Amino acid sequence: MAEVHAITARNYVKIAVLLAVVTGVEVALFYLNESLDLNGWDAPLLIILSMLKFVVVIGWFMHLRYEKRLLSRFFAGGFILALSLYGIVVGSFLVGIVTR
Amino acid sequence: MWLFLSSEFLFFGALITNYLVYGNDPFPSVVPREIYDIPFTSVSSFVLLMSSLTMVLAHHSLSTKDQNGTRTWLLATAMLGSIFLGGQVFEFYEFITAHGMTMTTNAAASSFFMLTGFHGAHVAIGVTMLLSLFGMAKRQGGLSEEHGLNLELVGLYWHFVDIIWIVIFTLVYLLGAV
Repeated sequence: MAEVHAITARNYVKIAVLLAVVTGVEVALFYLNESLDLNGWDAPLLIILSMLKFVVVIGWFMHLRYEKRLLSRFFAGGFILALSLYGIVVGSFLVGIVTR
Repeated sequence: MWLFLSSEFLFFGALITNYLVYGNDPFPSVVPREIYDIPFTSVSSFVLLMSSLTMVLAHHSLSTKDQNGTRTWLLATAMLGSIFLGGQVFEFYEFITAHGMTMTTNAAASSFFMLTGFHGAHVAIGVTMLLSLFGMAKRQGGLSEEHGLNLELVGLYWHFVDIIWIVIFTLVYLLGAV
């Protein structure tokens, strides 16, 4: 178990407030998409905000940034494999190997 | 535990990929993305995010040997998880009764229920583990260092369920199928 006592309860609350604010921004982007005229940038922005929350929860709440690098590699490995799976499936549809 | 969670990425990766491929299937009538209640799901997402805070506060309380705090935050996490689950049951009920969208309506509906249903099952397992830990803490007068590892593992699992929802909320609800 990583030594994480340095993080205080107050800091955890601050991180949660950040996560809540980012979620609020995501929902606002969803509704204001057309009036803000984002020209298709809404999807990348939403994915970036989602990844920010993803990284914050893994890094601070799951304490991965305080763990050994090997664990980070295991965890990242699963994530990369999942992304590869998506790429292979979408690629298969695009080149016509698989059809609906 | 990290290896298990890593393998869970592949499990949910397959389900999310399935939804992203078939989520826009219009046959015969209902498209899931057109009936989502975004304000309701946003509140559910907020509840699950806050449950990650209470989980980490339970872990923090145990590390400072505050047994009362540990029990309180564990129970709060289980309650927030239950609220999230209640919301999901309500959402499914609405989809089925008000919109006639069931598992067999079309590929989009099927992939939606598979993805969110399996996530809900994971949350339900998490709530069961949290309540078990709470029961152990009550019965034994507090969690020991040995059981501290249990809390650490349940916490990792709970946060993982949260990060999967972060992805589902954005890709499925806010962006729809791409």
